Amino acid sequence: MAAKGVLPRVGVFKLASCDGCQLTLLDCEDELLLLAEKIEFVHFPEGVSFKASGAAEREGPFDLAIIEGSVSTPEQLQTVREIRRQSRALITIGACATSGGIQALRNFVDDDGVNHEALQKLVYAQPEYIDTLATSTPVSEHVAVDFELRGCPIDKGQLLELISAFIRGRSPAIKNESVCFECKRRGTVCVVVADNTPCLGPVTHAGCGAICPAYRRGCYGCFGPRESAATESLAAQMKNIGQSEPEILRAFRLFTAGAPAFEEESRRHE
Amino acid sequence: MVDPKHPDSKQSDAIGQSFKPGTRLSMPRTGLATLFTLLSAEGFRLVGPTLRNGAIVFDDIATPADLPVGWTDKQSPGGYRLEKRADQRAFGFVVGPHSWKQYLFPPKETLYQATFDPVAQLWRQSGNAAVGSGNGAGGTAFIGVRACDLAAIRIQDRVFIDGKYVDPAYDNRRKASFIVAVNCLEAGDLCFCDSMETGPEVTTGYDICLTEFDDTFLVQAGSGRGEAMVAQLPVQPASQAEQKDLASGLARCRRQMGRQLDTEDLPGLLFANLDHAQWDRVAQRCLACGNCTMVCPTCFCYSADEVADLGEDPAQRERRWDSCFSQQHSQIHGATFQPTIKDRYRQWLTHKLASWTSQFGTSGCVGCGRCIAWCPVGIDLTEEVAAIKADAETPVPLPAYQPVPTAQAAEPFATLFATIEATVTEVVAETPDVVTLSLVMPRGYQYRPGQFNMLSLPGIGEVPISVSGDRNGIVEHTVHRVGNVSAALSALRPGATLGVRGPYGSAWPLAQTPGRPVTIVAGGIGLAPLRSVMRSLAEQDRTTVARNIDSQWVRLVYGAREPEALLFNRELALWRQNAALRVAVTVDHSTADWTGNVGTVTTLLRRKEMPVDGLYLVCGPEVMMLAVVRLLQTAQIPPENIYLSMERNMKCAAGHCGRCQYGPYFICKDGPVFRYDQVAFLFGRRGF
Amino acid sequence: MSERVKVYKVDLLTRVEGEGRFYLKVKDKRVVESRLNIFESPRYFEAFLRGRAIEEVTDIVARICGICPVAYQMSAARALENALGVVPGASIRALRRLLYCGEWIESHALHIFLLHAPDFLGYGSAMEMAVDHKALVERGLRIKKAGNALIALLGGRAIHPVSVRLGGFTAVPSSRQLADFRPVLQGVLDDALEAVRWSAGLSFPAFDQEYTFVCLDHTEYPLEWGDHIHISGQGSVPVGDFHTQITESQVAHSTALHSRLKDGRHYLCGPLARLNRHHQRLHPVALDALTKSGLALPVRNPYQSIVVRALEVVHALATALDIIDNYRQPERPFADYVARDATAAGATEAPRGLLYHRYRIGGDGLVKDATIIPPTSQNQAQIEADLVSVAPQLLALEHDRATHLCEQLIRSYDPCISCATHFLRLDIDRGDSAHGINQ
Repeated sequence: MAAKGVLPRVGVFKLASCDGCQLTLLDCEDELLLLAEKIEFVHFPEGVSFKASGAAEREGPFDLAIIEGSVSTPEQLQTVREIRRQSRALITIGACATSGGIQALRNFVDDDGVNHEALQKLVYAQPEYIDTLATSTPVSEHVAVDFELRGCPIDKGQLLELISAFIRGRSPAIKNESVCFECKRRGTVCVVVADNTPCLGPVTHAGCGAICPAYRRGCYGCFGPRESAATESLAAQMKNIGQSEPEILRAFRLFTAGAPAFEEESRRHE
Repeated sequence: MVDPKHPDSKQSDAIGQSFKPGTRLSMPRTGLATLFTLLSAEGFRLVGPTLRNGAIVFDDIATPADLPVGWTDKQSPGGYRLEKRADQRAFGFVVGPHSWKQYLFPPKETLYQATFDPVAQLWRQSGNAAVGSGNGAGGTAFIGVRACDLAAIRIQDRVFIDGKYVDPAYDNRRKASFIVAVNCLEAGDLCFCDSMETGPEVTTGYDICLTEFDDTFLVQAGSGRGEAMVAQLPVQPASQAEQKDLASGLARCRRQMGRQLDTEDLPGLLFANLDHAQWDRVAQRCLACGNCTMVCPTCFCYSADEVADLGEDPAQRERRWDSCFSQQHSQIHGATFQPTIKDRYRQWLTHKLASWTSQFGTSGCVGCGRCIAWCPVGIDLTEEVAAIKADAETPVPLPAYQPVPTAQAAEPFATLFATIEATVTEVVAETPDVVTLSLVMPRGYQYRPGQFNMLSLPGIGEVPISVSGDRNGIVEHTVHRVGNVSAALSALRPGATLGVRGPYGSAWPLAQTPGRPVTIVAGGIGLAPLRSVMRSLAEQDRTTVARNIDSQWVRLVYGAREPEALLFNRELALWRQNAALRVAVTVDHSTADWTGNVGTVTTLLRRKEMPVDGLYLVCGPEVMMLAVVRLLQTAQIPPENIYLSMERNMKCAAGHCGRCQYGPYFICKDGPVFRYDQVAFLFGRRGF
Repeated sequence: MSERVKVYKVDLLTRVEGEGRFYLKVKDKRVVESRLNIFESPRYFEAFLRGRAIEEVTDIVARICGICPVAYQMSAARALENALGVVPGASIRALRRLLYCGEWIESHALHIFLLHAPDFLGYGSAMEMAVDHKALVERGLRIKKAGNALIALLGGRAIHPVSVRLGGFTAVPSSRQLADFRPVLQGVLDDALEAVRWSAGLSFPAFDQEYTFVCLDHTEYPLEWGDHIHISGQGSVPVGDFHTQITESQVAHSTALHSRLKDGRHYLCGPLARLNRHHQRLHPVALDALTKSGLALPVRNPYQSIVVRALEVVHALATALDIIDNYRQPERPFADYVARDATAAGATEAPRGLLYHRYRIGGDGLVKDATIIPPTSQNQAQIEADLVSVAPQLLALEHDRATHLCEQLIRSYDPCISCATHFLRLDIDRGDSAHGINQ
């Protein structure tokens, strides 16, 4: 094992999120201890405290910063800028960090004119003490990001692949293709063609291994849109199988509602 | 249209190539269970149709009860439903979302493995990973192969084992397979095998062929193995009635087919109509989801990636089914050749129905109808073709299929994916982002200028690099640092080792250079594949060429973005001193101390005479080659006198993975050097 | 700072889920400030659930928490099915319990070994701890992995399962699939029993407290089902009436609603509440482990929660094995329903405690209103009170050690901070000088 000093310094950060993507790292049960030999977690609040071991609170610089969660408070905005300044490479993991997450629903003003302010009032009796931004946005909207790993949550294998690729200096084998590719490689019977089930697979970024159709439901797009997402054509197909306009709108306005291709399609059905 | 008797096919006797089909016999339905038992007893893994999740898929089966007895499929564009039959037929359906390629060409497969030797501190290839294994000790028996699927298997044979390079895993699995085919007496709703001449009758390439009636099966042996098995079945000669039922059933099946594909002149016709409005229309609907390519029994494109975990070993190179509908399929650093859905659909259809004939001597389509059923928006390629044909331009000629003579197979270093270890002896930094690696190659390694090698760094990747010269058994490779693999190659130091396989590809026509003017036009890194040509020409006896006319010399016209980007400066100076050569260099953007030409290569070339009998070798960014070619054409240079070197995404370098396709050509084996008239109909066109 | 005033604080709590900090100020040996400041940014789930289809709720609420998504899906399903008048069949309920067992195993193992154990052995992280205690950490990872694998088998993936839906599941496993999986669980049962023995042997700070415990009531050890909620010293109320028993108030500087009982008392939900009320209903294997552990009941020391969690892991594993052995694949994976105007509540026992959901839905199949009260929200007031109670012990300790004791106390609750849709934000008012929360 190499001397600690030469291991890449890695920081794991959390913004507005459910913690599921960070947990995916801790879920690498077979690899966790091996990972700890290859990289040095200098900032990983969920997994590591430094006070007890006598070391001072760690800060940058970081060779690799991993950010989970969306930017939804002024403080978080400052945090991501600082992290970027201190990091050689910065990757974002999960739907929150890459598209604003489910909480990006507050970015939309609905039919009743309900917006962020109104949402605050609904939840908090004294909203003046809540300090959130009107929008929940991805990290890439504020700083340059070297890689965006999609998913809600991200896929454990892909996270390991990304970290391995970073350590080795190669391109990560993470493909921007449709979920249908994974579904067909897996041999799953298409829920659209065989069951008339609405499914966002053709326009959604692969990476999950096509779980939902394997469990006989349609993909709900939690990995966000793939490149060349032909959402208009898919929406027309959904209408053909009996989906209403509100249903189609909701389908594109869910966990990755903030991703431009999905946001635009959802607006066409308002 | 498959020519089953193609003389160059390398299929073994085990799959019935030279076997005369036996007489048709009859057996009671219970004989099917006996056949299953016999196959299992011989150690075959049995796979065949079975019900799952609302469809008939292929899976492991043990007895005839596992078959979809009493079920049929109702299919429509974008729709598939199961329906109960009135009878108890076991094969009363056609095809579902699975094809047999999932067994012969699995969705995921390890190509290559390397382990790290900590003592020597280098990677060594380790064993033949998963080559043809994993399919059961005695091979796999495919139960219920339709004529269309049988044709599809034989079409994939052409890709993977009948070409210049043999895919060993596919070859092993194919040799270990036993085919129990089934005649179709009822057409499926989407079938058009009749117009593709791939069915409905099973004619060749099987071990046993069955035809199902209510009470009996007709049985026919199609190979020696099949015959041996049939001899153990409860058979007796088929009756006249059964023979008639077979003939009339097949005829009815043909009549029932509701669609057809007019294949007359289709390849040339599609390439003559690349701007037809129908492509725009279908692009509005197409989702580029890739389902059609995944269910298609002949589609073979794949991607190859490094799969290396955190530990030191082993590093693996893995292939996965890919598709021309994915963005990465046509992507190299700095360019995506098929960025739009229209480009991709057009690529798919022209490959399937047009390019394929040039590449493999048959159409790529067998008329199974799967792509129509499993397209979520129900695009029907027979309709698309009909729409184009309705108001089409006249067909253009496409290159003819060139079968590979058997003797030429297995060239040195041509074993697919196996690399040899080469050592770096020298690293020369040509420019800030270009280095030349000198590698010691094994004795007997030979290349021709224009060819390339695949350089492999386990755990990082493998890329094609042009050979840029050689000296005393050292072979030079000039690497442009554009991505992670090239960056890692650029960082190698003398003494380092890496994996190499090659040489691959076509060569510059050196044989045509003596006694005529030769002009070499290079842009940027494009000089690298041409350097060894220049060296040869520098030593060529050119006393017969008139020396007092500039245009009769060997001329190099070379340009780069800026002075710092010029390659091989010392060699350029040497060439300038060579009385046999003329060297003209230009840069797009000059610097304070640059005293040479400023402007593009075409600007420089335009000032020179261009003899029509000259040979013109061009290599550089595609936009530059396009401008040069246009200039040469205005100077009336015949297309046969112009040669280009092209670049596309490359993974296998063997004409299997499909990524480097350029219309009907594979850049890796038909190129990278092309004579211009070969590619004139496509060159400069967006989307290819 | 004078000798009379001591401040214990951690600006960013580690080895807890989510973002929080605490601040404890003691002046003249009296606690003058006790604040658990959770600055996790709000995401407004209850608000944007309005107008969504009822079918989407189980997918959406899973995203409230990455560690306990199953709990949210189960509570939501129970509440919505109550509103719809749907009762899934016995096999479906068994599968739900099985899924929930997977989450208890995974979540508790995560907490015991990765988040809490380092405190007891004096390490900053499980990874550091593994250098000296490799077997222990590997045991924990094995158990956690088994829990995750169970969730992934039934739900498609370990985090944010995809197969949970109203009426049941989108797809159910075959008996064969469960039988093939069984060895994975059986293989870690010994590990779980060893975890009980090991944790019971740890030394715990003396800190018995009087708690009002709140947990689900059921004929079995409560997990995915229960129609009544028990409040110690008070009795049980139907789940649908629970909201009348508690009040949510906003403290002057807080951004979260404090959940307390009607009379203002704070209360505790979670493993201690469950074990103290239902220990007789533990699976026999777990009951036996409890007896052998020597853990005295009732458990009133939050630091001992690590033992209770270990016992619950044994219980979940043994229960899961029983379910697998008795499984009969349901004919249909889910029951049908018809949307209607209705309001109903549902509660289940998340690993961290009672998770309560309440929905008002319409005949148009849309959610009109949603209320979600996670266990960590309910425990916040109690955590603060416990910090006050532990203060006297701190004064005798060296400062860093005292601060660590506070952290360890907070970790004992296994707080899941992202869960809290309402957050408590505590600003520290020193009164004598300007110290903001960033000090």
